[in-house]
Order: sequence, then structure tokens, then C-alpha cells
Amino acid sequence: MTHQSRRRFLGSAAAAGMLAAGGLPRFAIGGTKTIKIGAVQPFSGGLELFGNQAKLGLDLAAKEINDGGGILGHKVEILYEDNKTDPKTSVERTASLIRRDKVLALSGPITSNARDAMTPTLTRMKTPLLYATNYEGGACGRYLFSFNTVPNQELEKLLPMMNAKFGNSFYMFGADYVWPQKMFEAAEGIVKGLGGTVAGKEFTPWGVKDFAPVIRRIRESGAKVLVFALPGADGITFIKQAEDFGLMKDVTVAFLGFAETYLGAFGPGKGQNMWVTVPFVASDPSPGVRDFVGRIRAMAGKDVPISHYVMTHYNSLIAVRDALNRAGKVDREALIDGLEGLTIDSPTGKTSIGARDHHVTMNMYQAVTEGAGLKLVEALGPIAPRAGCG
Amino acid sequence: MDQLAIYFLDAANYVLILVLVALGLAIVFGLMGVINMAHGEFMMLGAYAVMVTDRHGGSYWLGLLLAPLAVGVVGFLIEEAVIRRIYARVLDTILASWGISLMLKQGIVLIFGPGSYSMATPIAGNVLVFGAPYPVFRLFIMGVSLAAVAFTFWMFFATRFGLAARAVIANRAMAGCLGINTRRLDRLTFTYGAMLAGLAGAVMAPLISLDPQMGLGFLVPAFLSILVGGLGSILGPLAGAATVGVTDNLIATLYSPVWAQLVVFAVVVVLIRLFPSGLAARRRREL
Repeated sequence: MTHQSRRRFLGSAAAAGMLAAGGLPRFAIGGTKTIKIGAVQPFSGGLELFGNQAKLGLDLAAKEINDGGGILGHKVEILYEDNKTDPKTSVERTASLIRRDKVLALSGPITSNARDAMTPTLTRMKTPLLYATNYEGGACGRYLFSFNTVPNQELEKLLPMMNAKFGNSFYMFGADYVWPQKMFEAAEGIVKGLGGTVAGKEFTPWGVKDFAPVIRRIRESGAKVLVFALPGADGITFIKQAEDFGLMKDVTVAFLGFAETYLGAFGPGKGQNMWVTVPFVASDPSPGVRDFVGRIRAMAGKDVPISHYVMTHYNSLIAVRDALNRAGKVDREALIDGLEGLTIDSPTGKTSIGARDHHVTMNMYQAVTEGAGLKLVEALGPIAPRAGCG
Repeated sequence: MDQLAIYFLDAANYVLILVLVALGLAIVFGLMGVINMAHGEFMMLGAYAVMVTDRHGGSYWLGLLLAPLAVGVVGFLIEEAVIRRIYARVLDTILASWGISLMLKQGIVLIFGPGSYSMATPIAGNVLVFGAPYPVFRLFIMGVSLAAVAFTFWMFFATRFGLAARAVIANRAMAGCLGINTRRLDRLTFTYGAMLAGLAGAVMAPLISLDPQMGLGFLVPAFLSILVGGLGSILGPLAGAATVGVTDNLIATLYSPVWAQLVVFAVVVVLIRLFPSGLAARRRREL
């Protein structure tokens, strides 16, 4: 082998390696005047509905920021990476976005296991994560900002209302992972404070297709309220079967982690009278929300469901703009300093980021599923997060 | 006592669906030595076929009839295009059918999107069984499964096709020497296995959320069933599904679904240790 061909071999091997790592480096259009935000979101592997919701919000925010002249003269560009709903892939994408694409900050992911997997990399590489999914709380640190709810924001008004309206005996049923476990811990505390009883608490593994035993046990417990934290397809299966067994006549569901993406999945006339507390209701008639929904629809079509995930991801990028403007310069530490204690104008009103816990205080809404939509029942005003940052 | 009867009714419901899925898997493996990782996706196709029929104004009953046929055609084509080229290469069949499984899943994502669908229950209402309300449709599902299982057994134990098929399962080379057209049999068997999966998906469709990932939730317990019941036997999946299904359902009823999964796996491990060739395996004759 000649020296020449070995060099050529090395060259092509390196090119192949780069391709394997997800394509060639992306050079920013317009030289250095671009702020790049990496978005590690699930676009395959099971949670693509949520990834797509996140993308709607981020796309709209980027478009509006750029149409409004950018941030300190910089354009914003979002680099999407599919994490395949998988923690290991999330870490790989995170590392390549930071090292190769030199992103200013990261957005995403959806699941807690992916977020926890990414956190050490983010901390080591001193890159902030803009996490905009409702979660169990306790993810704290200089490089982590949470733009969605933690358990108390969802539960603290919902459970007293359920207690007053439907009865004081609660059954808690959810998927067997960290979010429902922490949700129910918080819920138990609130139920005790109300003088109510916890008639039962149980978890189920993913992928169960027959819930008849659980449905029977919930009915036999005599509970009036079912606190429900089983997301995704399994949750839809459970609700369907519970309706077939007539369980909904005995209990009223408080649906945790609800999003408008569920609507329609239950089928016509099904999944009614389920109560939720969310930071955003698409059918909210207030001008800010109506306008926001209109802008999303103009961009993505009129049939697209718009859940709070769209708004929280939108908020996270708007917060980046305001934070950098506030800091007056574009770098990671300036972004973090700018975000701390920042208040932004969101579609639902003022949203403020805690200077110490990095979690947001925002307006919350009580709503109920009715017909093919979510009906706004009561605007609850701002609820501060108990982020569990110690 | 009534309570116990209800528990067993719940368990029977689950067992019968499991049998339907496991049977197709077991026949294909027993006869052709093909481990079909796409079996769960065949089931998914059956469910989507019913949903599409429903969306286009057809009734659920029409869908129930069409779904097994449609999935049978898909199975037939896949057998012709892929599976028949890799018989007797067990590892390759796992890889190939896994690839097919991914393609079918992504195909569904491309056509219907990643979200969940659900269907209205075609027979609404409850009847009182042992004093507790029980959905009529679940009883119907049990009836359909029972009928399909009975038909399969009739076919394998009372027809010439069945005789030939069992001969191939027992000794493929010898059966071929005796003039049985094993190629034709393979094609028929794979198609029939796909049809059973399609039927299972179709009857279950109104009970569960329809999404691209739905197949896996049935494939795993079905595999456990044929492992416990014994490979290369048609009675095996029956015994296996009964063991897996009853254990799972009773533990879920008496304790919780989390324990149910743990106990099922523990039971499977113990049973495989005690009966390495399956519950339904014939005792080896002394030579």
C-alpha cells in the first residue's frame, strides 16, 4: 500500500465516520451571525406526537424572532435531532450538537430518563437545557431550566376541586415509573390535607393490554375520584376498557399529564368528563391564546391539535430572546444569567423564571373534556412551582 | 365463589386472545422453523384494517371478515418475497422478520401517523354474569377466539391438510420423501398464521388503543406462551397461554400488574427448567 492511498483511505474513513455521526457539519448561513439552538426531541420511537408538538412551538418562536429582527442582530436557527425516544441516542445527539454544531443551548427532550441521561453531558460542557415538559420535579442545576409544570402546579387546585365536586375518596393509578410515583406522592399529601382518603394506589408496567382486574379493583374500592397518570396509548386503552365496564359511572377521572393530543383518540362520545389542570387550553377565548392558536394554525394547518407542549416550547425560545437582550451579549453564561429571574409575556400572560430553582411560575387552568375538546372551567391564576431543588 | 368465577372469566378472556396470537406463532415456527418477529405487526395490521373499514363506512362486522383476509394476503406476499428464501436459517429469519416488523410499523406511521386511534365498541352494553356487569363484547371476543381455535384444531387433526402439516412438523425430510408438497404447505401455513394474527387484531381492535407500537404488547406474552407450552406442537400454545394468561391475570387481580409481570417471568423460568421441552411435549419414546 502506498502512502498516498493510505491517506486517501484515512480520509474516506473519516468521512464515513462523520456520516455515521449524523451527516456533515452544518455551517451556519450568514457566517457567525446565527444563534443555534439544538432540539433533541423524539420524532420516532413512540413519543413522536410530543416531539411534533414541541417542534410546532419552537418553529413558530424561531420564525417570529427572525421576522422581528432576530436577537441582538443574530438570526435564530433550530437544529432538530431525533432522539428516537431513547436516552442513549439523546446523549449522543446532545454531544454532537454541542461539539460539532456549537449550539448555544439545547431544547428537549420529553422523557425524564432522556433528560437525566443528558444532564451530566450538559453540565460538563456548560450548556443550558431548556426543558419544557411537565415532569416530577427535582431536576435542578445551573444548566437546567424547566418551562412546564411540576406536580404541585397540576395537583394543588385540581384535587380540592375534585374533592368538593365528586367526593373525598381517591384511587390513584398510573404507569410504573418516576413521574406517576412522584405525582402520587404529592397527591397523597394533598388528599390527607383535605381530610380525604386514599382508597388505593397502584402502578402498572407499560404494554398491558387488559385492565379488567384493575378496573374491578377500582370499582370495589368504592373510590369517587380516580387520579390517573398513565400516559400514551396505554392510557387510552385503559379509559376505553373502563368505559366498557361502566366504571365511569362510579368514578370521575382527574387526568394528570393531559394534552390536547389525546382528544379524538378516545372516539366520538368517549373520554368525557375527565378533569385536568393545565398551563394552556387551546379553546381558551382570551385574546392572547386565540391569537397564538391562530398563528400556529396559519403555520401548520387548521387541524393540528395544540397542547400546552406547543406553548411551553414556544415560551422557552421567547425566554432565550428576552434573556439575551437583557444580558446584552450572546454566550451561554450570559444566557443563563439573563434567564434567571426573567419574566416573559407568554400567550397566557406573564410567566416568570425562578432565579434560584429555574422553574416557572405561570397561569394555570382548570378544564374538562367535553365533546371533542377541552372546555375551560376556571382560570386559576399563577401557581408557583415547588421544584424540589432543596 | 361468584367473585372467583368473575376472576376466571377475566382470565379466560385474556387467555383466549393470547391463544389466538400464540397459535399462529407456534404453527409457523413448528412447521417452518421460522421465528416470526413480525407476528405482532400482523396483529396490528388486522386492527388497522378494521379501523379503515370502519372509517370508510363499512361496519365492524365487515371489517372483522376482511381483516384476516387482508393480513393473510400480506402474509402470503411476505412469505413469497422474503421468508421462503431463508428457511432453515433460524437466525436470519429472526433478523428478516424483525426488519419486516419495523417496515410495517413505519409504514403505518407514514400512512396513519404515530398517534392512537380508537374504535367504538360494536356491541355496547353489559350483561350480569354471576351478579356483576360484564361487557357483552368481551363475551363475543371469547366466542370468536374459541371458534378460531376450534377450527384450527379441526383443520390440523381432522383434515388431510392437517395430517400432512403434522407430518412435516414431525419430520420435514421424511414427509417430503413421501410426496408431500412441503413448499405449498409452507405457503399455506404462513398465510394461515398471519390470518390468525389478523383476526386477533381485528377482534381486539375496539378494546384497545390502535397505534403502531401495539403489536409488542402481545408478542412478548405469546412468545412466553409457546416457550412454556413447547415448540413444535400445536397443543403447546394452548397449555402455555393458559399458564401465562391465568398467572398474569390472577396476580394482577389479587396484587398488582407490576407483580403479575414479575411472577409470570419467574413462573416461566421455573417451568422451562422443569419441562425443558414444554408442558405439552410428548414424552420421548424409549428406543
